[in-house]
Amino acid sequence: MVAAPKNPGGWLSLCLLEWLPFRWRLLAFALAGVAAGLGLWTARMANAASYLSDDPAACINCHVMTDAYASWERGSHGRVAGCNDCHVPHTNPIAMAAFKARDGMRHASMFTLRLEPQVLRLSDGARPVVQENCLRCHGELFVGIRLPGVDERPCWDCHENIHGAARSLSASPHVLRPRLPSAGLGFLD
Amino acid sequence: MTETASPKRRRWAGPLIALLLALVVLLVGLLASSILERRWEHQRPALVLRPLAEWEPDNAKWGENYPHEYESYLRTRDDTTTTLYGGGVPRDYLEDDPRQVILFAGYPFSEEYKQARGHHHAVADVTGTKRTASPATVGTCMTCKSTDVPRLMAKLGVSEFYRTPFHELKKEIRHPIGCQDCHDPASMNLRITRPALREALQAQGKDLDQASHREMRALVCAQCHVEYYFKDKTYLTFPWQQGTAVEQMLATYEGNGHVDFVHPVSRTPILKAQHPDYELWATGIHAYRGVTCADCHMPYRTEGALKFTNHHVQSPLLDIANACGVCHRWSEEELKSRVETIQAKVAALKLKAEDALVAAHFDAGAAAQAGAAEADLDEARRLIRQAQFRWDFISANNGMGFHSPQESMRVLADAVDLAQQARLRCARLLAGKGISSPPRHPDVSTREKAWTVAQAFVRGEPPDLLGVGAAP
Repeated sequence: MVAAPKNPGGWLSLCLLEWLPFRWRLLAFALAGVAAGLGLWTARMANAASYLSDDPAACINCHVMTDAYASWERGSHGRVAGCNDCHVPHTNPIAMAAFKARDGMRHASMFTLRLEPQVLRLSDGARPVVQENCLRCHGELFVGIRLPGVDERPCWDCHENIHGAARSLSASPHVLRPRLPSAGLGFLD
Repeated sequence: MTETASPKRRRWAGPLIALLLALVVLLVGLLASSILERRWEHQRPALVLRPLAEWEPDNAKWGENYPHEYESYLRTRDDTTTTLYGGGVPRDYLEDDPRQVILFAGYPFSEEYKQARGHHHAVADVTGTKRTASPATVGTCMTCKSTDVPRLMAKLGVSEFYRTPFHELKKEIRHPIGCQDCHDPASMNLRITRPALREALQAQGKDLDQASHREMRALVCAQCHVEYYFKDKTYLTFPWQQGTAVEQMLATYEGNGHVDFVHPVSRTPILKAQHPDYELWATGIHAYRGVTCADCHMPYRTEGALKFTNHHVQSPLLDIANACGVCHRWSEEELKSRVETIQAKVAALKLKAEDALVAAHFDAGAAAQAGAAEADLDEARRLIRQAQFRWDFISANNGMGFHSPQESMRVLADAVDLAQQARLRCARLLAGKGISSPPRHPDVSTREKAWTVAQAFVRGEPPDLLGVGAAP
């Protein structure tokens, strides 16, 4: 929508708002500075960098997954597989990153707006992903066996306690709930 | 905002950019404060703002320290919720089911019998019902209704509390069922404050102080949601000496000869069942799996990063996701329809038992009018007494049998069987008097008609049951 500037300053001049009156320029830059600082602080406090990692602890930054983490940590998969191994597709890196970003944004926005249900269920989009990942590791058990489709009978219809017998945001007792990962903000706590 | 923009348009650009950036700052700030708040919730220690006195009856004072629990407790005020057979609405059982006017004829339950509202209404409801209007009502009726009770029991002594007239005690009782009925104010541990449960368990040789936390999550409810009677007219006692199954409690009652009222139609010494929710639950699959009252009626909730027990005690059908979905992973609609299917079957058999019982009362009345011997009638009355207690054991239970569906069907089937056995005996007694036609049962199809019939028997001016007429 922006036409190419004619003056030699070009894009740089446009971005530096040189075309604005000075006092507005000053205010805009001041506010941009505030926004940037606030953004950086929020990112640090929310442990935002951890979301780029593969560490399961990243999933409990926003508390909703606290129980899922506690049950996973002590369950059969706690020693061999992390959240992303099962809940994110491993077909190719792009699908992986896109799925993780979309799921993460959805979780974060739902929780920020306080719309989370008390009992979490796999979404329709997540079911084939998890089933695929079950087979990624356990597939050799089914050589020569026809498996029903994921909508018909997913693995967890029978193997239902991967995350423990009870599922709710509150299922695990207090002492088993993991501590919040540190965000380097000890002085605030 | 383009290079070619006129000076007039450029004048808007500055404020617009400033406004947009200010909006960004606002939104990032809101997000930051939300994240901070959650962090704080996750890490904060339990804050006791003000220590509580040993017998503090005021729920609001506890609420200062435990706001989430208190706020959810306050929602027991809601008396508009309904489920298929329950909820918080004071539904009128007698209006819905006039048979009960006959079954409780001559007893206050035939005059007013409504579904109980939430805990918050306990004091208002016990003092408002016609069933406690009599000046002779004993203080025992107040035992389960108020957090003022433990304080008064400590002051007066337990027996003296029970003996104090209800309407005298009323002045001292303000606060409805609440925090300190179940909690120790210093540690918040669950604790038993009502002596009847302690005594009942002692009589069974069980030590309450050895109960695990899980057991306590049912036992605190068993302080009140049980079968009980007033020993020596005032002393609150559970008939658990031989056990908590319906037959064991009946055996205890047969042993001590307890009678709640004599039925004016059949002259049967009737036992009124209270609300043996705990005893029925104990026979069911949920109890077998260690799922307690609190797990379904007060499930845990997570709000933000805070986990707490929802103190809005209510039908689990009003909170299926939390109450059932935690273990049963099917959809809410499916779970609800499953529960209602089970309840509908119990409800159908319950009505069959009522029909058989109403008929049995009239048959026994007819046999008496025909001049049958008292000793012969007593055998029929014994069967009716057994049948009616079994029916009432399920009928008075909350949850339309869902606390233990198979046990409910078994007990109701026994009730139908015993009532029909009683009818057979009455038919033989009538035959012995040369009467082969069925007795004439009065029309009790509405609450008003049933009330008129019941009152006629109470006054001693019963209708003629022996005339020729169609039996139901």
